[in-house]
Amino acid sequence: MTQSRMYPGTGPDEHTTFAPYSAFDIPADLRELYGRYDVEATARRVRNFRYAEEWMMMIMGGWLATIPELPVKTGLGKIIWETAQAADVLGRRLPELRCGRASVAVSESPNEGFAEFIQRAAEPESPDLTIEKLVGIFGVLKPHLVEVYERTMRETDQIADAPTIELLDDIVRKTRRHLAWGSDVLDTLADTDAKRERRRQRTETLRGLLETCGGVSGELAHA
Amino acid sequence: MKRFIHYDELARDSRFVRQTNLLATVLATLPDDVDKVVEAFWALDPMIGKSVKGTAAEPLYDAYGPAFALVALNEPLRADDPAVKTRLLMRMHGIFAGELQALEGAGRSLWDFPEAPWEFKMNMARQCWDEARHVQIYEKLLHHVGGKVGMFPETTFLFECACADDPAMRVAGVNRGLEGLACDVFRDMIRFADETEDEVMKQAIDYVLADELTHVRFGSEWVKEFTKDDPEYFKRTQEYQRQVDKQFSFGGSRSDRKDAAIPIARADRKEAGFTDEELDELAQLSGEGPSRKTMRAASKIMRERHRERQRKEREATA
Ligand SMILES: [Fe+2]
Ligand SMILES: [Fe+2]
Repeated sequence: MTQSRMYPGTGPDEHTTFAPYSAFDIPADLRELYGRYDVEATARRVRNFRYAEEWMMMIMGGWLATIPELPVKTGLGKIIWETAQAADVLGRRLPELRCGRASVAVSESPNEGFAEFIQRAAEPESPDLTIEKLVGIFGVLKPHLVEVYERTMRETDQIADAPTIELLDDIVRKTRRHLAWGSDVLDTLADTDAKRERRRQRTETLRGLLETCGGVSGELAHA
Repeated sequence: MKRFIHYDELARDSRFVRQTNLLATVLATLPDDVDKVVEAFWALDPMIGKSVKGTAAEPLYDAYGPAFALVALNEPLRADDPAVKTRLLMRMHGIFAGELQALEGAGRSLWDFPEAPWEFKMNMARQCWDEARHVQIYEKLLHHVGGKVGMFPETTFLFECACADDPAMRVAGVNRGLEGLACDVFRDMIRFADETEDEVMKQAIDYVLADELTHVRFGSEWVKEFTKDDPEYFKRTQEYQRQVDKQFSFGGSRSDRKDAAIPIARADRKEAGFTDEELDELAQLSGEGPSRKTMRAASKIMRERHRERQRKEREATA
């Protein structure tokens, strides 16, 4: 009786008997190769995303002292840490994308317009401007990032660039919590028509700026 | 948003009132001399009287005059002390405000030093979350012991003293000076919670203390890192920290002295990166202020003077 082989031999009749599956068979995996971004393009996007996360974290840090509402101070404390962690994992992806070991702390604005947008978002200072402060991050920038991150996750190479997808997935999950918190706070603070109008105007102004510069990756206009 | 804000710009809701920081600064320079202590505090009397109006400290001021802060600060928390409740509330409220300022200080370190190394920013961002939890924890504990936010005036002197415009001095001031003081105070609070069998307070503060050790460690490491190529800069930073530590010793209330209200938490501080040499130095510079005996004698004189004044005022209006 022939014994089944545990390892392949060198002859044509020396195969093992183990069942032949594709790497995509169990569980059924429909992902295909090829995405919209090559290694360089993904690395650039990751640097752009990191730029946004790093600046948001620094801006919110600066605002802690000039925001009078206690739950906003404490709520931001946690969001600052989670935003810093987002910037950190994005940075740690960069050396994996052939950017060199020193690239872990590299952030890059896609263009001057986005850098200008960030500075405009950081402008409000006075303690009576909590609405204007929060709108920039929670009404405009973070929602935009969720949109772009999700699009990146859909459009990048699903198999080859899976590490980027995974890290964005984690960031999006937490960012959605930040958005829920932000809109809860803004709904509470903007409790008169005049304040709702301030919220609306600020949103409109910053959204306009963001669209003009093409957003975090600079390509909003031609997306 | 500008970089480097003044301590007057710390934003608060309608419950808070401010007390000028002069009191703490004056305490740091007082000699062990009853008359000098009386003289210094009496000079601050109008300011103290104004800042306590409408707060829970007003009855204390009425009873003790400007010395009430001395009585509260300089005496240890003891379960059998008849005034323990008031002392506990004042201390708890002071800690709550200190946590707020630590949160704000950590946040400002993120904004004020945009060129700082990434790891530094990560540490400060983590500290923001920790301090935010500490603010929440102390709001709960304040309620737990029967107090409420805004019941006493807030002095912003922790932020004022610790928030230098230079990164090494900022971490020396905030992470080693302020956070080091937090370690001393929290170790003493755990001792008190133990004494009063308050398990809720004991466990919560034990967690907070663990966080604070981490923050002091951030400070110990970043002072070294920021000044590693410049011994002159390191010396200036140490000098700055000595000055902060002196102010945060409240004239010896926080020290290694036998009569100290808050002992130096040596074991905790060593775990957080303080050397024996630094701790000896801290013990020395914090132990130089007026003794408890002096403070008590000064308080008594001021109380009598205050009562005499009240009596005259009553006579004048009668
Ligand atoms: Fe703290
Ligand atoms: Fe701390």
